[in-house]
Amino acid sequence: MTPDAIEEQIARTATGDRAAFGVLYSATSAKLFGVALRVLNDRSEAEEVLQEVYVKVWHNADRYRANGLSPMTWLITIARNSAIDRLRKRREGQVGLGAAEAVADAAPGPEALVVQGSEREKLVGCFAELEEGRAAAVRRAYLQGESYAELAAAFDVPLNTMRTWLRRSLLKLKECLTR
Amino acid sequence: MTDGRQPYDEDDRILAGEYALGLLTPEEVTRFEARLVQEPELRALYAAWAEDFVGMTDGIAEVTPPPNLLSRIEARIFGAAAKPSLMQRLGLGWVSGSLAAAAVAVVIGLNAGLFDTGPSAPADPAYVAQIAAEDGSLIVQAAYDADNGELYLRRDVGGAASGRALELWLIAGDNAPVSLGVLPETQAGSLTIPEGLRAQLAGGVLAISDEPPGGSPTGVATGAVLAIGPVSPT
Repeated sequence: MTPDAIEEQIARTATGDRAAFGVLYSATSAKLFGVALRVLNDRSEAEEVLQEVYVKVWHNADRYRANGLSPMTWLITIARNSAIDRLRKRREGQVGLGAAEAVADAAPGPEALVVQGSEREKLVGCFAELEEGRAAAVRRAYLQGESYAELAAAFDVPLNTMRTWLRRSLLKLKECLTR
Repeated sequence: MTDGRQPYDEDDRILAGEYALGLLTPEEVTRFEARLVQEPELRALYAAWAEDFVGMTDGIAEVTPPPNLLSRIEARIFGAAAKPSLMQRLGLGWVSGSLAAAAVAVVIGLNAGLFDTGPSAPADPAYVAQIAAEDGSLIVQAAYDADNGELYLRRDVGGAASGRALELWLIAGDNAPVSLGVLPETQAGSLTIPEGLRAQLAGGVLAISDEPPGGSPTGVATGAVLAIGPVSPT
């Protein structure tokens, strides 16, 4: 299904169209389930998360337009965040992720436009430009929900060093992605 | 994405990235989200990171979820609307209000291949219902055969707790709930609807409660109401 078609189903879902919700589920659930499985590595937990994700999608479909994300990014981000939240509940004392993908706002921001797929391909190349280990830290934060403290322990560096590394990496990454 | 046109604060760019990755402390998250609502530029920075980072999922293979997951999701969403008032009715008896209207609003569509297993289910049921728990932990499909007064039941998800039974109730109009009997222990089975109740199925609501073996000794639900579902014509 094209991004436009997915967007159309989200728009219809926002009006309470259950058939459109079913179509949206059919078109996108395999990708979202794959992401939840990858993060959680546990089938029953991933199934539970997938249910939570689509309940959120149903209730927040009317807010999709306001957040400026392309449709698959919106859906995958909800799935990734929900899965990370669950993963962190397994571990102790960690805060859940923010809910920016569901932040409502009447006026779409200036960047409320669809990002093209070519930008994603760039990510791989830009990761390669980072120093060794730095890209891995970003990946672990995104796909395993690791905190600064966990990353510092994993890479055996002081916490502040990890923080500095990662922040610099983000700037470098963004610089590369936008050139 | 914004570069060239809007040289945004470098710290905010990093902050938005850290937020998108989930690296901020709870206090930082609260502050960031408060700003997010107010500042379109910050939302744009976050959105750009979200688009960038989602590229990390490109290589993740699609996996088809189990076939009953959508119906469990739908049960959670659409089964929830009528639940509180109906639970109140079952637990507390009479509660006035336009409950019939609420029940109509949560009619759940059923797939055609509903009764592909189990006892000889009606090929052309007069009424069907999906009796579902709000959290999807118990889902029972029901189909009524008007020719013989049999209500065919199939448990798709969940079951009775150990040493307990599931009892089925019919709530018709403003009448008090009437027991239709204890659910068969097998996954699929049927109950005969007493003749006097058959006409009340239309527009009614089916509910399942947790009861001692053999069903409620009092004639009213004694345990928790686990699942409900409106009866709809096919």
